[in-house]
Amino acid sequence: MSLPKPVMRGLLGKRLRFHIPLAFAFALVAGGLIKYGVTEPRKRAYAEFYKNYDGVKEFNHMREAGVFQSVRPSGE
Amino acid sequence: MFRAAVRLSVSGVRGLTRLQPGCQGALAVRCYSHGKQETDEEFDARWVTYFNKPDIDAWELRKGMNTLIGYDLVPEPKILSAALRACRRLDDLASAIRILEAAKDKSGPHKDIYPYLIQELQPTLDELGIPTPEELGIDKL
Repeated sequence: MSLPKPVMRGLLGKRLRFHIPLAFAFALVAGGLIKYGVTEPRKRAYAEFYKNYDGVKEFNHMREAGVFQSVRPSGE
Repeated sequence: MFRAAVRLSVSGVRGLTRLQPGCQGALAVRCYSHGKQETDEEFDARWVTYFNKPDIDAWELRKGMNTLIGYDLVPEPKILSAALRACRRLDDLASAIRILEAAKDKSGPHKDIYPYLIQELQPTLDELGIPTPEELGIDKL
């Protein structure tokens, strides 16, 4: 039984022509997934948190807890 | 200056995309869009002639093999046969067996190429008394 002649030229070229665009596409998709799955929700969460954030109220809360050195709780 | 850089990069990309059509197979030939491109048969004939030089020396053998292995192709049986005969003229059995190992390595994941090569080279191997790596048991790690 005699083996037929296989393709012996351009094997790497063929592989690259398939895999490099695929890798490019995968990278874009991965980037897209991270952008819309991680960074956008994170940005929205921060925006939500700071939309009605009252710095002075938080400061007084911390002051009463006694965590500052520069200003003691209002009672003392 | 930025505009010049953009213009250069755009033309560079266009040049690259224009290269695609002509450059198939053996990248031995530079990818000129003008000038005749060498056919596979001409490429093979050139290499057979190279190894058939009667007074080829060891350096030329090594140089030829290293250049040949750099191409995106597995060398044709007739090229390998000429290279094996050159090894015989140089009394270099080690290089002959190494050439077979290199051909197997060049096939990569395509497991059908090496058996075909050995099948085609068997007359030459028998005539020159060259054992294959498999026969010597050095194909396994």
